[in-house]
This record gives sequence, C-alpha cells and structure tokens, in this order.
Amino acid sequence: MADPRQPRTTLALMREMGLTEEVVARRKAFLEFGAEDVERLRGLHDLAAQYADGVIEDFYSHLLSFEETQKFFTDPAILARVKAAQKQYFLELTQGQYDAPYVEDRLRIGVAHERINLPIELYLGAYNFYLRTVMLRLVEGYKNNPEQSTATLGSLLKLVFLDMGLATETYLFRRERTIREQQEAIREISTPVLPLRERLLLLPIIGAIDPPRAQQITTQLLQSIRAHRAKVVVMDITGVPTVDSAIANHLIQTVQAARLMGATVIVSGLSPEVAHALVRIGVDLSAVNTVGTLQDGIEAAEQLLGYIVSKAGDTGTSHNPAGS
Amino acid sequence: MRVPILKQGSYLIASIQDALSDEDLAQLQQELVARVGQARTRGVIIDVTALDVMDSFACRTLRDLAHTITLRGAETVIVGIQPDVAFALVRLGLSLSGAQTALDLEDGLALLDQHLQRGNTRGR
Amino acid sequence: MDSRSWTSTCSGGTHVVGESRVPIKQGGDIITARQQGRALAAQLGFSSADQTLIATAISEMARNILVYAKVGEIIVRPEHNGKAGITIIAHDAGPGIPDINRAMQNGYSTSGSLGVGLPGTKRIMDEFLIVSEVGKGTTVTMKKWKT
Repeated sequence: MADPRQPRTTLALMREMGLTEEVVARRKAFLEFGAEDVERLRGLHDLAAQYADGVIEDFYSHLLSFEETQKFFTDPAILARVKAAQKQYFLELTQGQYDAPYVEDRLRIGVAHERINLPIELYLGAYNFYLRTVMLRLVEGYKNNPEQSTATLGSLLKLVFLDMGLATETYLFRRERTIREQQEAIREISTPVLPLRERLLLLPIIGAIDPPRAQQITTQLLQSIRAHRAKVVVMDITGVPTVDSAIANHLIQTVQAARLMGATVIVSGLSPEVAHALVRIGVDLSAVNTVGTLQDGIEAAEQLLGYIVSKAGDTGTSHNPAGS
Repeated sequence: MRVPILKQGSYLIASIQDALSDEDLAQLQQELVARVGQARTRGVIIDVTALDVMDSFACRTLRDLAHTITLRGAETVIVGIQPDVAFALVRLGLSLSGAQTALDLEDGLALLDQHLQRGNTRGR
Repeated sequence: MDSRSWTSTCSGGTHVVGESRVPIKQGGDIITARQQGRALAAQLGFSSADQTLIATAISEMARNILVYAKVGEIIVRPEHNGKAGITIIAHDAGPGIPDINRAMQNGYSTSGSLGVGLPGTKRIMDEFLIVSEVGKGTTVTMKKWKT
C-alpha cells in the first residue's frame, strides 16, 4: 500500500482476469453469500479485533515450526511485515464490505504468493490451520449462542472460499501468463529475419507452425519489410515438417499482404510431398512464387533485384554491378 | 480534411495526412481525376502511410480511382500501406487489383520512372 | 477500524475499462467509432494487427448502418470468458435484412457499396451474430478474443 503503483497493476490484473462486478456477483451467488452473511461477519468484527493478535501468533508459530514454511520468514523484518499484513487481512474479513477493493486486495495476496513461489499446498494447508484457530475462538466467543456460532462460521467459510478462489486463481493466471510470455519469446527467437543484401531479406522458418506462430511470422515479416525497406523476401520453409491448409492459407495471405506493401515473397523449400498434399486438399498456391531450394530462392530474389552474381576471377560475360 | 496534391514534373502526388471520411475520399477522387486531365500527368502517387484503417469503401475507392486514372492515360501507384493494414485488407478478402503498390514515396517514384522510361524519355 | 481509504479505490470500481457508445449519423462518426474501438483494443492488450482488424470491422459495420439504416449506434466493450476479449455491437432500427443467408454470401450487396461487408467482417472476427427483422432493424454482435 506504500507503493502507489501497486493498486493500478492489480486493477489491470483484475481486468485481464475478467473479474468484473457481474462475475464477482455470480461467484458470491454460487457461494450463497448474501446480505445476512455480511451482517454476521460485521457482527463478528469486535470479537475478531479482540482475538486477532492471538490468532496471528498461533498462526506464525505453526508456520515457523515447519521447515517448508519456515524458509519464507528467515528475515525478522519480513516476518514483522507479514504479521502486520496478516492482521490487516484478518480484520478485513469482518469489516463488512466485500466489493471491488476487497477483491483487488485478494488478488494482491495471490500475486505476493506467486512472486515468492509459495507452493499452493502450503497456502491451502496454512489456510486450514488459520481457519481452525479462528474457529476455536469463535465458538468460545459465541458459547452462549451456539446457533449464531454455527451461522457465523458458515458465513466465514463462504467468504474464505471466495478468497481462496481468488488468490489461487491469480496465482495460476500469473503462472500461465509467464508461460505464455516465454512461449512468445521462444517464437520470436525461432524466426529470425536476416538481411541478405540491400533490400533482400531471408526468413528461415524451422519447426512446426501453429496458428499463433503463423500470426507471429506474418507480423514479423510485414514489419521487417517496412523496417528494412525490403523489396524481396525469401521465406524458406525447408525446416517445416508439415503444412496444413490453414497454415498454407495463412502463408498465402501473408504473401498477398507483402505484395500490397510493394514487396515480393518467394517461398523456398516446399518439399514435393507437402506440395502434393496441399494440392490434394485444394490449396491454390498459384498466387505464390514457390521454388524448390533455398539456393533457387536466393537466386530468384537476386534476379528480381537485378543482381548478376559471378565468381571472382570468372572471365565470363557477366560482372557484378553490385560493386559498382 | 483536404488532401494536398503536389505536382512534381509530370507526376501528381497526393499525400493523405489523417484518417479520411468517405466524403474526403470521394472529394480526393474527383480532384485527382480532374487534375490528371489539366496538366499532362503521366503518373499519380497516392501516399496512404497515414491511414491506420482501410475498409472496403476506401479500398474500392482507391481501386476505382486507379482505374479511372488509367483510362485518362496515366499510371497510379499506391504507396505506404502499413503492415497491419495490408494484412487486414487480405483477411477481409479485399484487393487493390489493377492498382500498383510500392513501399513508400521513393519506391513509388522509382517505379513510375522505370515504367515511363520504358515508354519514352521524360523530363521532371 | 481499518483506516484504509476504500472510497478512493472504490471510485475506480470494477469498470476500469468501460463500454463506449458512438452514435452513427454521418461519415465522420465512422472514424470516431473505429478510433474508440482501437483505443479499447489497445487498452485490453490486443496486438497492433488485431487492433487494426477490430477497427476495420467497426468501420465496415458503421458504414452498413449509414448506408442501409441512416442512423444507428456502435457499442464497444470489454469481454471476458476466462480470456480477455472485445465485443462490438452495431445496432440500427433501419429496414432490416430480408435474406440474411444471402447477405452473408461473398460479393452480395444490395446498395452496390459493400463488396465484402458482412462475410468479410465475419472472417476477421472470432464470433459474429446477426439478428435482423424487416421493418424493425438489425443488430450485429461480434467478438474477438485475445490470442
């Protein structure tokens, strides 16, 4: 809360996870969490404030007595800080408002746990202990009114499950996002754009192409055309094991888009098997300039650009105008 | 928003500066066609670098415009189509069939030069 | 009591990125509608290629409204279903489309203005639903999900 950036990033996260007012309302409805639960929890607040310190002490002595959880609190300063945060969390459970800022706060807890790599089983296990500790005190506090005790406990359980749901979901969401980002990074590395000559680019594609990668290749190719002012691009797919119709159509669209930008794409390395397969399933490759090998592709590209390549010392009829 | 049209030698260059409404586009079409007739124009370049969206109407207008200019004896090159725009056009199933395209103004001019030199000599 | 300021965060509320409605009455409104759509798509983290597709789809639908119904409305809003997305609704109270199946065929157009209109737009979106009643109007609901 000292960090003014934090609320904004959690808000963004909330949005990304699709946790709108309606979604949260539906979750509450599923938990049958209603106005009477809010009332009961609010009624518990004074009692909770009384036993808060005791609960926190019990909770941390439990965590510190296990090797798995101990290691997260080696620094006394951290321990003091999480204890304070925990107390605040504890009191929030009974403050009687469970709206957007409340949800946002639960997400923040999930984020914090993901950041320190707290295993989910430890989170759930710790929560279980926490709940049991609270339960004992609650039953004690309401011993003259067992009915109220049961009902309040029920309300608390609903809220706690809402919380656990939100925190674990955040946890998983962040994990998935990390994986997605890594995949994207790999994809980017896996499709380099190599300037071969002035205005000539080589795009060697290696490995299977799935739709996200196809999209990424398209974006990269079209943007490279602009960045390098390319006139001709050789897209070599020798290293692509299979090309289905969806991918082939995507490649055709990319070639057409490049043409709208004034560039020609030559596709090299289309194996005879793949070519046959594509023709059989009815993919029309006539709009695409295809050649057999990468070498053919580069030669065709050089020809389009007006280069005449000859060996040094070759006394043939041609000379290399690129040098002049 | 009016589109400035510059005359350079026997070429006309129309540089679109900002998102165009349909009315702006229709006006550009009229103006260009008229000016192709006035000066002995051999080539027309339409620079669409500033367009972040080209929908079917814009695409068809440009295609018709290129066609009309051809009928009036000049060539048209559309330059500066952005990567995202090019891809969106293809995905929509649109084409600029008939109109030539080039990367940017420089390439567009080079393309016109090349074509016209093939025909006869020309002074800028 | 907890002293934190609920109200300050509360004002941000859950509707961080909200819905926007653009009335379509004249040519310039088409530009406004697609700019709104692109801005929302950018905020939601769509790639620039997707932002362009979304803006183009809005442009097509807004022009449909103008050509066939004269007036209508474009609504853009965030969507979520486990993943993030955007919903675009194009609504008008115009004459309606008598034969939707035909209108969805490539190259079909009654006004001569829409070569790719509906089918082309459907292709660039992930979901496309059209409801039309002759004499009552047309509502097109389109969605695109983040990949």
